[in-house]
Order: sequence, then C-alpha cells, then structure tokens
Amino acid sequence: MAAENETTSPREVPPKALVMAVQIIDNVVGRGSGLLFAGLVLPMVGGLCYEVFARYLFNAPTIWAYDVTYMLYGSHFMLGAAYTLYKGSHIRTDMLYENFTLKWKGRVDASMYLVFFFPGMLFFMLAGWDEAMHAWGIGERSDASPWRPIIYPFKTVVAVSAALLIIQGVSEFLKSGYAAIKGEPLIEVEPPALRGDII
Amino acid sequence: MSPEYLGLILLVALITCIFIGFPIAFTLIILAVVFGFIGFGKVVFFLMFFQTWQIMKEETLAAVPLFIFMGHILEQAGLMERLFLSFQFILARVKGSLFLGVLFVSTIFATATGIIGASVTVMGLLAAPAMMRSRYNTALSAGVITAGGCLGILIPPSVLLVVLGPVVGVSVVQLFAAAIMPGLILSGLYFGYTFVRCQLNPDLGPPLPPEEQPESFWVVIREFFLGIVPLAVVVFAALGSIIAGLATPTEAAAMAALGALLLTALYGRLNFSMLREATLSTLATSSMVLFLAVASNIYGSVFARLGTATLITDTMLALPVSPMAMIIILMAVIFVLGWPLEWPAIVLIFVPIFLPVVEALQTDPDNPLLPGIEPQHAMVWFCTLVAVNLQTAFLSPPVAMAAYYLKGVAPEWELSDIYNGMLQFMILQVVGLLVVLFYPEVALWLPRVIFGG
Repeated sequence: MAAENETTSPREVPPKALVMAVQIIDNVVGRGSGLLFAGLVLPMVGGLCYEVFARYLFNAPTIWAYDVTYMLYGSHFMLGAAYTLYKGSHIRTDMLYENFTLKWKGRVDASMYLVFFFPGMLFFMLAGWDEAMHAWGIGERSDASPWRPIIYPFKTVVAVSAALLIIQGVSEFLKSGYAAIKGEPLIEVEPPALRGDII
Repeated sequence: MSPEYLGLILLVALITCIFIGFPIAFTLIILAVVFGFIGFGKVVFFLMFFQTWQIMKEETLAAVPLFIFMGHILEQAGLMERLFLSFQFILARVKGSLFLGVLFVSTIFATATGIIGASVTVMGLLAAPAMMRSRYNTALSAGVITAGGCLGILIPPSVLLVVLGPVVGVSVVQLFAAAIMPGLILSGLYFGYTFVRCQLNPDLGPPLPPEEQPESFWVVIREFFLGIVPLAVVVFAALGSIIAGLATPTEAAAMAALGALLLTALYGRLNFSMLREATLSTLATSSMVLFLAVASNIYGSVFARLGTATLITDTMLALPVSPMAMIIILMAVIFVLGWPLEWPAIVLIFVPIFLPVVEALQTDPDNPLLPGIEPQHAMVWFCTLVAVNLQTAFLSPPVAMAAYYLKGVAPEWELSDIYNGMLQFMILQVVGLLVVLFYPEVALWLPRVIFGG
C-alpha cells in the first residue's frame, strides 16, 4: 500500500539472524516460560482452600498442604523471573534512566548485562547446581513437616531459574547492544504496560 | 582493610549502581558475590544458595502471589466500576460527591487488595472522565485518586506488610492488626480534607449534572446490594479470619482469591483469556517483588557477615540524640529514600540495616524507646511507621508511580496539576505519620485488644 511506503522511515534493516534469535528466545523462553509457570498460582489457591475446608468442614487437616504450598510458591516466582525479565518488570530506578535516549539506555543495559548480569547469574546457577546435585545424590527429603516429601526437585528450581534468566538475558543483551550501536530498537516491542501493574 | 569497611564500600557501590538504572536485583547479586568473595572467600556461594532457599521456603511469603492474584482478578471483574457507580448514586447530592466516592471505593478496595498500580489506573479510568464532565478541580481530583489508590498498600491485607513481616521477624498478623487504625486515620484525613474544602469552595466539586444522578431511589438500593455487599463480604471474611486466627494470612489469601474468582463468575466476567492475563500479571508482579527479596537476602547476609551492619548500628547508637529523635532521623531517611526508590527496594534493602538500631533502642534498660512496651511490640510500631511513611513514596515526584499511572489514563490532566494535588495529600500523609509517631497507641491498641499482652 502507498501509505505504508510513506510512513516507512529510512531505517536500516537489522540482520535477519539476529532478529530471529531474539524472537525465538523471547517467544520460547520469555513468553513460553511465563505461560507455563503462571498457572502455578491456581493449584496454590486450590491446595490451600482444600486445606481450610478439610480442617473446618471435615475436621481432617491435610498432611501435604504446607509443603505443597511453599514448593509451588517458590517455583512460581523463581521460574517466573525470566518472564519478568522479558516483560521488563524487574524494578529499576528510573530517575536518570527514564531520561536517557534509546542509544544510552542500550549502552547502560548492554554493559551492565555483560559485567553484572551474566557473571552474577552464572555464579547463581553454579551454586544452585551444586546444591541440587548434592540433594539428588542423597535423595534429600524435607524436614519442614511430618510428611517429609522429596525436596530435590524443588532444589533444582534455583539452577533452572538461573539458566532461564541467562537465556532470556542473551536476548535482552542483543536487543540493548543493537540499540547501543544503532540507536534504534532491534524489534518493535509492545510498550511495557505501565511498569509492573503493581505495587 | 578491615571487612567492615569493605562492607561500607559495598553499600556505596550499591547505591551508585542502583541509580544507573539497571534492574536492582541483578546488581545486588553480583555485588554481594564479588564483595563476599573478597571478604570471606568461597563460603559466599553456599551463602548465596542458602539465602535463596530461605526465601523460597518461607510459606508466609506465599501470600504475596495470592493477594496479587486476588487483586488482578477483582480488577478484571469490573467490581470497581460497580462500586464507584453505587457510591456516585448514593452521594449524588453531597458537595464533592465524586471525591468522596473515589475515597470510599479506594478504602474498600484497599481492604480487598494489596496493590496500588491497578487501583490508581482503574480509578483514574473510572473517575477522571466523570470528574472532567462535572468540572471538578483537577489537582484535587488527581490527589484524591492517587492518594486513595495508595491506601491499598497500607490497609491490610497488604503485600508490603506480608513482605515486611518476615524481613523484620514480626508476625504478619500483628502487622495487619496494627496497620488498620493508621490506614483508617489516613483515609479519614483525606475524607475530612476534601469534604471541608468542598464545603468552603463548592466550585472545587460542583453538583453532578442530571445524567450522572440516579434515576430513582430503587436504583441506589439495587446498586448497593449488587455492587457493594458481595465484595464487602469476601473482603471482611478474609481479613476477619486472619485477625481472628482462623486462618493464616496465606490461607486467607487463597480463600480470598477463591472468593474473588466466584464473584467474577457470578458477575459473568470469568473466562479463559481473562484468567490467563490475570495469572501472567500475577507472575510478573510477584516475581518482581520476590526475586528482589532473594537478591536482597543474599546481599544482606554478605553485608552482615562483613560486620558492616554492626558498624552502622554502633555508629548510629553513638550519636548523641534521644531514642525518639533517632526514630525521627530514620523516618526522615526512609522518607528521602522514597523519592527515588520504590517500596520493595526500601523494605528489603534499607529497613534491615535500620532494624538492629531500633532493637537496641528498645532493649536499652536505662532509656527505652517506648517505656513499658515489649520489644516485639515496639517492632510492630516501627513497621507500621515504615508502612505509613512509604505511603509518601508513592506520591513524591519525580518517581511517583501513581502520577504516571494516572497520567497514562487521564492524558488531559497536566502533570503539574497532578503533582500539585499529590503534594496536598502528601502533607496529610506526613500528618498521619506524625500521629502514629507520637501516639504509638494508634498502632498498638488493636493488636493488644485482639492478641492480649
């Protein structure tokens, strides 16, 4: 269409492979892990409500609700950290950052990913990996309740979360690195929906 | 160099890096690892896992995603629209009725949820157009919406208090009980201020045009029972069962989430895409707060192990000021930190640094902070002060999230008008803070009545 040609700015076309890599990571790891783990909140609600009903209506408190709750909760927010990174929802101080140009935002982010993020998350993953291996080795069980469920899958969550963060971090690094060099976004991202629908 | 001073450099490095604008959680982790490794070697890796594990196993914090989930469900259910309409009809003949309606809805929603962004956005979407049509004063409108929305984070159940409890080592239930009165006092101050100003100058909130008024008395009654009563039942059941000790905050949060889902289904708003959006928002929001909790816990343990926490405590205690003056200094620091930082960063990074000071002040046998009060209760009071103080953080420019949320949904309003309105309410918040500061009973009375002691 003619209108489309007019509005197209003389923007450089980014390398296809780069765009592909970023999109694959964003969709599979970022969005995919989000869709996969967001649902964990539902069994959390279900389990706890069952516990309350069982206690007051049937006078038979469960033996599993406590352990199941913290395992679901811990997995939920840890495994969701990569999705949160993808959404740009991890808290940052906007005071200065907000006023940077895209190029400077890219410069700050790209260098911080290299110097801070990747080494930190690598250590995090290795520390988690060691503990998980140890727990699998001894078939560790929880000592938090008389139910004593196996705990090693839950311990593995730390290493997996760190690994997901690192993969999503690669995409974020590529995006910010491109912005740092070209001063243009690598891919069009939906504007961060009012950072954190929260607090 | 002695490790204590290494820790001080760590603190300076952290504050510098925070301001660059990279996500705080990742900055905390790498700084903790590097400084910890320099300070005490490979133990830091074990410490890193252990501190993460501690947060992951803290069952109380499971209430965070649950309360956030409940808030998102209620938001999607369109309950706020109903509530607002109900109050608009009920109050139609009062001067400044839309202001009061917003405050009523905000206070009730504050009791339902523990999140602010959602309520400021939704409230803005709802009330701003009506206020513009009725030619309401812009600054006061913006102030009412933003200040009202922030009440959610103070009036229990609140996510802030759920996070603060484990950090300070105080029961969340006690904190909930303590925050009720100060929350209502703030809400009352907002009511009184807007009401009086509208009485003195009716132009601020003129009467509603006829089309905004209810058609008949029966409409009012119907809206009341359909819009207000069901939500109120869920809300007070949740809060009540926590306070009465029937359910832990985590269990009550789950029950409240179930209640919210049922209400949404009854209003015919429950469907798959809405549920997916609500769970995704919940994931991002809880992960943001809790992953920061993990990172701060790692950072805090390195900081403590280097001995810097003790150094800071000793230095502060050596200052020649009275215990009360010390608390005022701490409050001033938190107030200032609230301008650039958001509450999770303050609660998770800075409050733990101040805690030993408050503990030492209260356990001093010669000159205790609050004579005749148990140390545990003094901590409850301090936490309440922090929570009230952080209310100002939401309204203080330049990083007042509330202003951005509101500007996002009411673009016709000038940012300067919004700031002007927020400033008026910030003054009221400081008044509220001073009340709790000089009359600790405001916070401590209800917990004592309920739990004894």
